[in-house]
Amino acid sequence: MKLSTLKNTQTQELSTLLQVKGREQLLERFCSIGLPDKQSEAYRYFDVEKLLESDYTVTPAFPGAIGIGEKVIIIDGVVSTAPKGLRIYYKECESADMEHFDPMYFLSHLLSPVIIKIEVDGDAELEIEHRFTKSNSLVPYRIVLHNQANRHATIYESFTADDIENTLVLYGYDMHVAQDSTLRVVKMHSMIDSRYAMIASHKVNVAKQANALIKSFDLGGGQALQLMKIELDTYAHVDASHLLYLNKDSKRGTVSQMIHKGEHSTSKQEAKNILDGKARGIFDALIKVEHSARYSKAEQNSKAILLHKEAYMAAKPQLEIYIDELEASHGATTGQLSEKQLFYLQSRGISYTEARKILVIAFANTLIETVKDTRQQEQIKAAFEEVFYTTHQRG
Amino acid sequence: MSTNSIMTIENLQAKIGDKEILKGLNLQLEPGKVHAIMGPNGAGKSTLSKTLVGHYDVTVTGGDIFYKGKSIKEMEAEERALEGIFLSFQHPVEIPGVNNAYFLRSALNAKRKHEGKEELNAAEFLRLMRGHLEMLGMKSDMISRSLNEGFSGGEKKRNEILQMLILEPEVIILDEIDSGLDIDALRAVSEGINKMKDGKRSFLVITHYSRILDYIKPDYIHVLKDGRIIKTAGPELVAQLEEHGYDTIEEE
Ligand SMILES: Nc1ncnc2c1ncn2[C@@H]1O[C@H](COP(=O)(O)OP(=O)(O)OP(=O)(O)O)[C@@H](O)[C@H]1O
Ligand SMILES: [Mg+2]
Repeated sequence: MKLSTLKNTQTQELSTLLQVKGREQLLERFCSIGLPDKQSEAYRYFDVEKLLESDYTVTPAFPGAIGIGEKVIIIDGVVSTAPKGLRIYYKECESADMEHFDPMYFLSHLLSPVIIKIEVDGDAELEIEHRFTKSNSLVPYRIVLHNQANRHATIYESFTADDIENTLVLYGYDMHVAQDSTLRVVKMHSMIDSRYAMIASHKVNVAKQANALIKSFDLGGGQALQLMKIELDTYAHVDASHLLYLNKDSKRGTVSQMIHKGEHSTSKQEAKNILDGKARGIFDALIKVEHSARYSKAEQNSKAILLHKEAYMAAKPQLEIYIDELEASHGATTGQLSEKQLFYLQSRGISYTEARKILVIAFANTLIETVKDTRQQEQIKAAFEEVFYTTHQRG
Repeated sequence: MSTNSIMTIENLQAKIGDKEILKGLNLQLEPGKVHAIMGPNGAGKSTLSKTLVGHYDVTVTGGDIFYKGKSIKEMEAEERALEGIFLSFQHPVEIPGVNNAYFLRSALNAKRKHEGKEELNAAEFLRLMRGHLEMLGMKSDMISRSLNEGFSGGEKKRNEILQMLILEPEVIILDEIDSGLDIDALRAVSEGINKMKDGKRSFLVITHYSRILDYIKPDYIHVLKDGRIIKTAGPELVAQLEEHGYDTIEEE
């Protein structure tokens, strides 16, 4: 199936093409926004059309029995194992955000007749690993995640793939961060020599007095975009940071909408981008402060370092504000490694390559260090070095 | 070229941007000796030190630099460092996000690798550091912080000396190592320098003040003015300079 065949379809036709029964609202929403293309606001820096033109086998995920393992492992959209006692099951999706800005959010919902529902109890630490094993496939799946009120849960997310090509993963979360809780999500997505693409479309609801900490580490090559709509209730706080370290002809990044709905809600969004080769980094982030969100505070910042003259950063921080009583700041900078710092290291006998590596990791360090778990930190740093040495000769 | 010289600078001409700064400078550094360079602001002292370590700001337009008999004019900065040339910077740069201990160990291990020695692991390295830190009066948290970030002027200078101590270079260039140091720091830094004297290493000490020279006892005083060494004499020249300034110095 080519997703481009869904272009300009009517709901009737679409429901036949996708073999979807019921779900009129979703069908209508998707038809009214239409399939994304170059002109689409959210996809203007990402080559989405090429992905939609590819011919994929749509592999329907047949939910089977879930084995017991240390972590949640999801293989091609099917849960293979989960820790003992974790509440994880398949379910028909009860609710999707009908106001989401991303058409692919609706499409992934339409393509996922059942969703994976995870209810995280207490102060759990949960690892979720996504695995992809099929070439030439469209892999759609969605996860609905709830945590418990008054609790502090952490999720570590990682991705692995067999030697596959021409596969498009369309996954995403509908995340519900409960009142007075903290949910930390650390996503580590290293794509070295990976030839699959990903469009991950998320929705995050942050309830009253809740904290959502979302840290994305996207490294390597490949084509992947994460689209996030985050809504903040009264006194909710979101800290969403994004580290990109890309090489070759990779195009990856974040497109987000941070929507302040409740009073005294606060958000902080920090993107650090290191771009080598012909890579393109994307940080297209809107902060919207609604009438109801008086006394809110929003901060947004993107810093990029270009390691190659053909690398490019598309940074577009935007503010849309409907009230006076708030504090907001945003900015974006792009630069190179400091010649002075490089020289200092070299003058101590450290090679040019090692000096660059040290400075690249130093730039990233402020974000890596926010990951409290030292084992996870080490993994991120190791992945970083691996990416570095795919394009630079070891000294 | 004298045979008893570890470094020979011959008719060196160099510019920064379009500005000619070194205008035919001659100098020989003898093994085991302390050479002090004094001279007015803007004379080219820091430029000379940068030229010797291959700084990207400087373009050599004439003359040559020989180290152990070989020209190093075309040599990369890291190569010069590995071969044993060290500069303590007048203004060491801050590098946020780079752990000082990690940096120091990387530098030491690069050197050890170059010499065909085993690299040191973190524990072995810290053991080696302990004595140095104590001698320099540095708190151990100085090496767990980011490199030079938020260090006071004196702390930066001590950190430069720490690097000298662990890298054990053979030509040591100290650009105003004494400026901004309090009395205790000056003593500690001088002690570090004196500890490195082994009869073979050669020191090039750039300074404006006689105070540090009381501690580290120079063998020669060179006066650098307008891009050239205009006078070389023994330590007795310091008192004369302090009294009369540079204007009265006649080129030899
Ligand atoms: N990056 C640069 N760009 C332009 N001019 C420079 C640069 N660096 C040095 N200069 C100029 O070169 C001349 C020599 O400077 P240098 O720093 O070598 O002097 P110095 O003898 O070390 O002085 P001080 O005693 O003040 O440290 C000065 O006139 C200075 O302004
Ligand atoms: Mg100077």
